[in-house]
Amino acid sequence: MPYIAELEKAGIPTILIDLEDQHNMVQQEALSNGMPNVRYLPASRTLPGPEDIDKILSSIIEGLTKPLTKKEKEKGLYAPPQPRVLFEGSLDEAENFYQQTKDIPSPVNAPLSIYTDGFPIRVPTEERVKQMLTGTSHKPDEMITLQADAMGMRGGRKKGEPVLFQPMSWTATVEKVATIAVMAGCKPEHLPVVLAIAQSGVATGTTNFPSQVCVVSGPIAKEIKMNMGCGHLGPGSPVNGPIGRAYQLMSINLGGAVPGVNRMSSHGSPLNNGGVCFAENAAGLPSGWKGLNEESGFKKNQSVVMVMSGVGNHGGMLGHEFSPGGYRAFQKSGHGGIARRLDVKGTPGPHNWLEYLFPSLWAAMEGGWTLIMIPELAQHLHDYGFKTKDEVYEWLYKTSFEPVKKYKGRSWPDLTTNGWMGIEKTSGKHWKELSDDYMVPVVNEPRDSCIVVAGGQEEACVQLSGGRFNAPVYSVDVWR
Amino acid sequence: MATRETFKCLNPTGIQKPIETFPLARRLDAIDGKTINLNITGEPDITIALEKRLKNDYPDVNWTTKKTYGVDPVRLTDEEMKTTDGLIMGVCW
Repeated sequence: MPYIAELEKAGIPTILIDLEDQHNMVQQEALSNGMPNVRYLPASRTLPGPEDIDKILSSIIEGLTKPLTKKEKEKGLYAPPQPRVLFEGSLDEAENFYQQTKDIPSPVNAPLSIYTDGFPIRVPTEERVKQMLTGTSHKPDEMITLQADAMGMRGGRKKGEPVLFQPMSWTATVEKVATIAVMAGCKPEHLPVVLAIAQSGVATGTTNFPSQVCVVSGPIAKEIKMNMGCGHLGPGSPVNGPIGRAYQLMSINLGGAVPGVNRMSSHGSPLNNGGVCFAENAAGLPSGWKGLNEESGFKKNQSVVMVMSGVGNHGGMLGHEFSPGGYRAFQKSGHGGIARRLDVKGTPGPHNWLEYLFPSLWAAMEGGWTLIMIPELAQHLHDYGFKTKDEVYEWLYKTSFEPVKKYKGRSWPDLTTNGWMGIEKTSGKHWKELSDDYMVPVVNEPRDSCIVVAGGQEEACVQLSGGRFNAPVYSVDVWR
Repeated sequence: MATRETFKCLNPTGIQKPIETFPLARRLDAIDGKTINLNITGEPDITIALEKRLKNDYPDVNWTTKKTYGVDPVRLTDEEMKTTDGLIMGVCW
């Protein structure tokens, strides 16, 4: 849309073809770019192309030629009121106020909460927000800016840049983040983590099943009593839960994200219902395995949060549950189905249990995975021979290779290779020159995968798709 | 008489900077004899058919094309901006 605005401003008339369910988003984006009356029309999601074009061709031409209406010739200033105090009244009245909904037309056709994630919130009175602000040394009226250089989806972002909360590119102060932390049910000692997460701009993704997950690494996890053990992904922790929820409330309020308007995930995601934040169990790392903080260039005694905004877009969440006792039999004496599949029957471990996950990992999607494994599983990999996490990432990368013919049977690469134009990076050759049996990696590079050690004692590993793609890591300590 | 306790409750909404809105560009009297750019962003089922029909039904238009399978459009060059009279973009999602 910014490009369309640039063209219209330059005197080049345009007409945009979208899909019907995207109209709300087109209107909002158009207003955000200064041209609320942009011309657009829908193509069909289902009609064959030639039939569709029969229907819309004359409207396309009309978009370029029909004289402007009075409205389309208008110019002005869009500046909605933005009071600091949103409501004044009793607590009961405030609860009702913040629970207001708005009817959202197709493709939602239902009321959605304006200020909340659909669940009741803790009313952000001035006193409660003041109390929350004791959790940080930053001033309430300080704008949220990047505290260090970081990577974003569309390139590098520089220290000091104001954070533009997505999708509306709004900005925020420390006080606004504290307001949301109150609403989410956080305590003041959680605020530095929430402020660190805020630096991400709280993107919500689009299209399929994008979920947002935050991972804390470093001393703060223990300080604020995050659950790193059994059930750490929920429910029950009054720390993990509210911090994860703060992400979603920030995306709704600071970013203006509304399903069906500018948050177009077809099914939404249960992970975003309440939000997800968990912590690495640093004490459970095998010797020589770095924590997430150290892997990201920080020190072992520094606290960070990794913000994954696109979990699920390329595959979702998998929880490989070995049968009760099945994993133990596999490792202890080489018996059971896992041992039979990996051809180690009768041979005690340690065995590389990742091989059991392998057929399903890239069955329907490409890219890195984040593997959340309990300490025992991490130790087995270490004892098997992976003395560092990087060695596991390298193994996953090499295991992901498959023939070009099979790779071309995937959906996303049509888009990511721009229609198979350009150079395939391992060969240095044009995609179209490669033979069907040339092997290419399904994971872009080894470091796209990520391991986080956490969880209880039952032998299980949960995989989140997306890995380190679009998962920047931010310092929490700078916000103390 | 008991008075009802009231509270000031803060606004969690992000800060929207004022937006200057502007009029659309003047439309064309006709497209024949003009240079119109078809800026394709994915959806080949629709856009391949569209390109064919445009060239077939409007042969007196100088059609130029820019194409990507992705969502970010391929932009006109500075020179093309001077000579392009109109632009059709699609399909955007």
